[in-house]
Amino acid sequence: MFKTYYNSRENWLIFLLVLAISTIAITPLFSIIISLLKTLFLSSFSGDNILFVYIKNSFSILFFVTILTIVFGIIPSFLISFFSFWGVNFFKYALILSLAIPPYIYGYSLSSFFENYGTAFSLLKNFFPTIDNDIIPNLSPKTMAIVSLSFSLFGYIYLLSMTTFNNQLSNYIEMSRSLGISKFNTVSKVIFPLSRPAIFIGISLVAMETLSDFGTVSFFGISTLTTGIYNSWFIFDDIETSNLLSLVLLVFILCLFYIENKFQKKKKFHDSVTKSNQIKPKTLKGFYNLLAFFICFIIFFISFVFPVLQMIYWSIKYSNYFNNLNLLALNLNTLFLITTTSTILLSFSFFSNFGNRLLKNNFLTILSNLSISGYAIPGILISIAVITIFSTISNFFNIELKSILIGSFIGLIFGYFFRFYSIAFNGIKSNYLKINSQIDESGYILGLSKVKIFFKIHFPILKENTFFIFILISLEIIKELPITLILRPFNFETFSTKAFEYASQDLIEAAALPSLFLVLWTTILILFSSKYFLKK
Amino acid sequence: MFFIISSILFFSIFQTCLSSEINLYTTRHYEADYEIYKKFRNKTGIKVNVVSGKSKPLEKRIIEEGKGCKGDLFFLADAGRLYSAEKKNLFQKIKSPLLNKKIPSHLRNDYWYGITKRARIVFYNPENVDFEKVKNLDYEDLGDKEWKNSIAIRQSNNVYNQSLVASLIHNLGEKKTSEWLENFVNNFYEAPSGNDRAQILAVAAGEAKLAIANTYYYALMLSGKKGKSQQEAAKRVKPLFPNKNNRGSHINISGIGILKYSPNKINAIKFLEFLVSEEAQTHLSTNSFEYPVVENINIPQILKLISKEFKEDKLTPVEIYGKLQTKSFNLMIEKKWN
Repeated sequence: MFKTYYNSRENWLIFLLVLAISTIAITPLFSIIISLLKTLFLSSFSGDNILFVYIKNSFSILFFVTILTIVFGIIPSFLISFFSFWGVNFFKYALILSLAIPPYIYGYSLSSFFENYGTAFSLLKNFFPTIDNDIIPNLSPKTMAIVSLSFSLFGYIYLLSMTTFNNQLSNYIEMSRSLGISKFNTVSKVIFPLSRPAIFIGISLVAMETLSDFGTVSFFGISTLTTGIYNSWFIFDDIETSNLLSLVLLVFILCLFYIENKFQKKKKFHDSVTKSNQIKPKTLKGFYNLLAFFICFIIFFISFVFPVLQMIYWSIKYSNYFNNLNLLALNLNTLFLITTTSTILLSFSFFSNFGNRLLKNNFLTILSNLSISGYAIPGILISIAVITIFSTISNFFNIELKSILIGSFIGLIFGYFFRFYSIAFNGIKSNYLKINSQIDESGYILGLSKVKIFFKIHFPILKENTFFIFILISLEIIKELPITLILRPFNFETFSTKAFEYASQDLIEAAALPSLFLVLWTTILILFSSKYFLKK
Repeated sequence: MFFIISSILFFSIFQTCLSSEINLYTTRHYEADYEIYKKFRNKTGIKVNVVSGKSKPLEKRIIEEGKGCKGDLFFLADAGRLYSAEKKNLFQKIKSPLLNKKIPSHLRNDYWYGITKRARIVFYNPENVDFEKVKNLDYEDLGDKEWKNSIAIRQSNNVYNQSLVASLIHNLGEKKTSEWLENFVNNFYEAPSGNDRAQILAVAAGEAKLAIANTYYYALMLSGKKGKSQQEAAKRVKPLFPNKNNRGSHINISGIGILKYSPNKINAIKFLEFLVSEEAQTHLSTNSFEYPVVENINIPQILKLISKEFKEDKLTPVEIYGKLQTKSFNLMIEKKWN
């Protein structure tokens, strides 16, 4: 009986299908690497110092964003996990909302607030009519980019440190207390070392997002690796330099990706060590209560309330832009994209995870692990890769596929597929690991077919988390800009492309409304699933 | 699953099969443009389908689509970009006596036509700068020592600046432009950042004495569309059209060409001809504050007021901006214009 379980013809079919799914998901990576290799062998690129400038800027931004996100992420999660103060339950969820605002939209708000005769000035003028513009601080574009990225990305570190603080550390902390170790030493010698893996995952996610960010840095006009890819291509028509920069960027990002994966494994080890009761938070009183409240409030206010208020202010003040938006179409487009893409992503990921579990084939496992690299590749590169791949396939087989594949929903959804496959695949994989494989064998002995094992045993267990993965994919799709911009069909707009259009003609006031709707979608999705965010 | 895939397929094929329409790629993001497409449809029954985006990714998409290209037209917001697309064989030659008659020859070539134009000029604050001192200003004078630490302009990666420098290379030669750039960059009031509007606001706030920016940004602020504070700030600033005693002020265009493999060429030409009609030219100018390319078109009051002294540089053909773009950017970087 077991022999057939491991060696049936069905398994070959499953093997081939999983192989196909994983291979499809890797193609952009290969396409990019091949075009890079071509470049490196064919061209004589002279290492200019402009490359150095790009790397320097990228890394100085990365440096500050990392530090700020650690501060904004860890301090409130520490306070919320171990203390009780005013509004603690509110802030616990409210701070996740920062993830609803894409960094480029944060940037729009920030720059218009602080510019000469901008919102800050206009507001102050209402109260003090004689005020002078000099009073408004002049922030440099780099500072603003750093602030925008930090306040919209710290949520990753906040979430991950929240989950470790809450779930895994209580036993250690109790032990450390009963051994008479001081509070300070408990924090520095017990809590932080143990939560390091989770925090490192958070940092590497933040770093990946920062390095591959294009919207924010290009809005503020800073020369980084991503804007460098654009500039060398736009101004010099120099695809070689552009590719070289992509390679540099890709190497950095893949390193981070590797680190993330490594810590992900370590974290699992920690996760399995302890499962303990929640530690009872200490109630803060007086000044400390106020201080804790104030810290959380400031971070929540600056990260979420400030940009949203700014957008609401504009939307009301310039309400005539309402007429220019086809809200029904935009909402339906958003709904269409998130449902189709996540259905496809989830079904493919279910299948390849199931196949991997069943076949336990090393080759497939490696391939699957590679296939999630799309998340590390910046959107611009993905979209260019999609166009190149389709055109190559079409030319190679000499069939006219281009008009069906390029500039169509198929192309667009392919783009999303490459970029977000990892979210679906990893999400399902981590839950699959929780199902003991002996259950499958028991099911098999009871005479269940593979299909039935999946639908009767696996799916009911995985179902609940599937909803959460759907939310994660949807959040990314709604916020996504470059892939949508480049690969979309004619007359197809989303909130993010509309906001971008207005912002690029310097009508940030008009961009407020689509941005607000975008944030409304993401906020609702986050609120719907906030309990999963903190459980994960 | 099957349903989803087949519905996507259906939609994509359905889209390409509709007739009596044209497909437009554009890098212009103006709401006024969308209204023009509607007007065109009302007039002719031809629907304009649009994908907007950045120029190079669109270029890439058009190149890769090749003969399977769905697009008919490519609308670009800078002469240098038009030249780049032309050099990559994206456009086809078209013959339209009407277009040739209406659009001045320095604003077009065989492959593309300028549809709107804008001037890149100097703005000053009369409180800080004596009008007598600047009334005959040329771009060439902006390198003079008296403007040390007083000029606001955006970064060198901005295509409008590259085109401005390209026009100087064309008129002064590379050597002189390079010397001028050296001094000019030394006159910046701080390291460039922000958009054109930010430069004008810096002059209004007294941080810089002179700003270089496109005309429509100024008109946009004056119109009150950017709010009352900015309108008041803009009123403190005056426009100055350089080189009015010689070749005229630097201008740039938004232009459009018909793609090589355009499936609906006849309709596309109709659209081009509509764009130079009085109706379209007036509409574009009224809403985006650009100048019409066609003569004797009524321009909005704000534009009239600020353009009294406007003398356009008709001697420099706009296509040289594209030809000299790389050279000008290299020079700018060499002279440390960030």
